[in-house]
Amino acid sequence: MKRRSPRLRIAASPCHSFKWGMKLAKDIRIGVFVCDCGSNIAGYLDCPSIAEYAETLPNVVFVKENLYTCSEAGINEIKDAIKDENLNRVVVASCSPRTHEPLFRESCAEAGLNPYLFEMVNIRDQCSWVHMQEREEGNEKAKDLIRMGVAKATLLQPQEPIQSEMDPKSLVIGGGISGMTSALALANRGYQVYLIEKTKDLGGLLRNLSKLAPSNIDAKELIAKQVEAVKNHKNIQLFTSSTIKEIQGYIGHYDVTVSTNGTEEKFGVGVIIIATGARVFKPEGFFNYDGKRVITQFELEALFKSKKFKSKNVVMIQCVGARDEERKYCSRICCLTAIKNGIAIKEQNPEAKVHILYRDIQAYGTENEALYQRSKQLGVRYIKYDQEKPPEVLDNTVKVYHHLLGRELELEQDLVVLSTPLIAGEDNEELSKLLRVTLDENKFFLESHVKLKPLDFATDGVYLCGNAHYPATIREAISQALGAASRASIPLAKGTMTVEPIVSVLADEEACRGCGLCVALCPYGALEIAQTEKGRKVRVIPVACKGCGICAATCYVHALSINSYTDQQVEEQIRAFLSG
Amino acid sequence: MCTGRVDPTMIAEAFINDADGVMVVGCHFGDCHYITGNVQGQIKVGLAERVLTYVGLSPKRVSFDQCSSAEGERFVKLVTDFNQGVRELGPLGNGDGLPAPELKEKLSIAKTILAKEKLRWVVGKFTVFVTEGNKYGEVFTDHEMWRTLDTIVMDEVATHQIMRELGQEAVAVKDLAARLKLPAPDVLRYVLALQRRELVDLDGVEGNSPRYKAVGPTAQVA
Ligand SMILES: Cc1cc2nc3c(=O)[nH]c(=O)nc-3n(C[C@H](O)[C@H](O)[C@H](O)COP(=O)(O)OP(=O)(O)OC[C@H]3O[C@@H](n4cnc5c(N)ncnc54)[C@H](O)[C@@H]3O)c2cc1C
Ligand code: SF4
Repeated sequence: MKRRSPRLRIAASPCHSFKWGMKLAKDIRIGVFVCDCGSNIAGYLDCPSIAEYAETLPNVVFVKENLYTCSEAGINEIKDAIKDENLNRVVVASCSPRTHEPLFRESCAEAGLNPYLFEMVNIRDQCSWVHMQEREEGNEKAKDLIRMGVAKATLLQPQEPIQSEMDPKSLVIGGGISGMTSALALANRGYQVYLIEKTKDLGGLLRNLSKLAPSNIDAKELIAKQVEAVKNHKNIQLFTSSTIKEIQGYIGHYDVTVSTNGTEEKFGVGVIIIATGARVFKPEGFFNYDGKRVITQFELEALFKSKKFKSKNVVMIQCVGARDEERKYCSRICCLTAIKNGIAIKEQNPEAKVHILYRDIQAYGTENEALYQRSKQLGVRYIKYDQEKPPEVLDNTVKVYHHLLGRELELEQDLVVLSTPLIAGEDNEELSKLLRVTLDENKFFLESHVKLKPLDFATDGVYLCGNAHYPATIREAISQALGAASRASIPLAKGTMTVEPIVSVLADEEACRGCGLCVALCPYGALEIAQTEKGRKVRVIPVACKGCGICAATCYVHALSINSYTDQQVEEQIRAFLSG
Repeated sequence: MCTGRVDPTMIAEAFINDADGVMVVGCHFGDCHYITGNVQGQIKVGLAERVLTYVGLSPKRVSFDQCSSAEGERFVKLVTDFNQGVRELGPLGNGDGLPAPELKEKLSIAKTILAKEKLRWVVGKFTVFVTEGNKYGEVFTDHEMWRTLDTIVMDEVATHQIMRELGQEAVAVKDLAARLKLPAPDVLRYVLALQRRELVDLDGVEGNSPRYKAVGPTAQVA
């Protein structure tokens, strides 16, 4: 068979000195199961030849080809072989560990074999599927991968799942609509909640708003109800005029220090929700903004609230300080706010003129779209402007180039309202460091995964909702707040945490000098320096560790290792690959 | 396995075992399942590449690339291009700075220094130094960090080679300089530094060049 002519070996990503295979470890008995996956694998690869090859590998004492290794019959074959053949390592060459590793591990455990003495090789996704057109090469690659799997299996060590107790209390940071909603949801499930609000009042941005779109309810009423419920809930301990001074720990065990006007209080929690909201961008230097004749939507709402609004010719300008070079994002709520406030002006005084100068209108969802249409029916005028030719605000007029008419219009005005974006909270950077969670390019908090984990951070036990994540409407903020509370309740309800033991370990305590190099690089805050009898040493917090391996690859005295991914195991795989 | 787990020594190990190329492919920045694993991976692979190419490996044999699971075509192109580059060179020792047997010897020196404290400490501080700065608050650029690492690589390789040579026999500085292909004054500087650490000692004088020999086990070199 022709393979890799001229003899070239390219090692893919996956470090002592004997060549692989020379070491026939005593008492290592490996069983290899090659799965046909019906025709998924066997349709393209020559599974019998692969199985035959596996038999020639060091320490392999049993090989079986299965039609479907994951079927009951296949699982029983693994279990029987473990017992009958005295297997102490199992390698399954089949599909993706993402879907099937838990099942095979469990099968090993049921037959009395430590589930971490199992290794999986993916010959379907990585061989039969991607090399359908190059079957021979696919077949050879499958053998390479199995040889590597067997090499690693030889060096695998048994591991025990890690268990940790959960402190059933929770912390919610930020007392806007999102924070209050999350706090109530958790408190109603019976969990003790500490709610921390920086200002002296609860309510967040809503405290300054008038009517709320799309439901047209009074912002004051909406928050009054929530504030009342929060204040009267026996499970919620409220801290106003307070900030987080310090947070240390990990899921299940956070030590929190809160400072209230200089007085500190400490308590422990198991989970944390970030609901610190956002700020309204103040458009200093944009369109002659002065806070009197040229104001923001936020300031307009204040005029409505205090019933001081009297203007007859209002020109609103959208995307002020948004979707530009400095802030590329769309703030999403400002179009809705302009539409809402245009309607409010028209309803108060149908004679009043309202022009909304926009770049694009962001009015997603049936209700927002309906509001948009209604504003048009009421006579709100929309004029699209070009970012390159922005409107010009003069003393009593606004000049705007109408790109359809192809000429400049001059609109009379006695009030200009600028729609400015919500920008990230001022404390985000500090909080992100305290909690070891990430921010996006605009300094908003960044979720773990946009689709799969939109309310979680990559760090377990910390969740997010509302404006803290990205500008949100109230409906979105509330949905997220309820969702975040649900996510947070999962570990709270479990009481104990069980985590995979594929984590960092201080394999050589003597060597560790407690330098902290690794502590600074751990993305999960899973390492800390502890004073021990032997001096300063690193301590791994297994429940916080995700096993990324940065610490092991960094440690300058090779004191840290990763269970099931030790230097020796990985190097053995490299040697096995290259010995083929 | 996250690219963050890739120890620079692993890459050296692959070449020592006759790999003709090593490609490490991680996620795009900001898209890493382990948050910053790929950032560390890139730095570690970068270090390995610098050390290995310093001792003679062609830079075309090592690469760090990024690709998402949704970029199948890009992945194929990356691998095909890399493979093509390596194929053009041929097996290890072709297109490299040295023929295979000498290169292999140098690669093992490279692995040793990649496993040692000095380089590992600096590379471990890389991210902290370019973001937060050192304890005096001095923030460095990537370029400054790599320059510093390059200097350390040079010193480390020379020191280890000298220890290897002097471990076998006593050699005069001028002969050492010829073997290392380095200027004699530089070699003398390294030797004197080793003497201060009591790792080598004066053995005599040849013409006007001092001759040194190793004392104690060579493995001690840090
Ligand atoms: C002018 C305007 C009009 C709007 N109109 C509408 C509308 O009509 N309909 C609609 O659906 N939405 C509207 N919105 C959007 C609405 O304001 C948001 O949906 C809502 O405020 C989100 O609530 P939140 O709790 O996430 O954030 P916020 O309201 O910003 O609350 C965050 C809270 O956290 C506190 N906090 C911040 N940092 C810390 C810290 N470090 N420690 C402790 N506490 C902290 C803040 O003091 C604040 O109380 C409007 C927004 C603006 C600006
Ligand atoms: S919501 Fe409208 S005004 Fe606000 S940034 Fe987006 S497009 Fe511009």
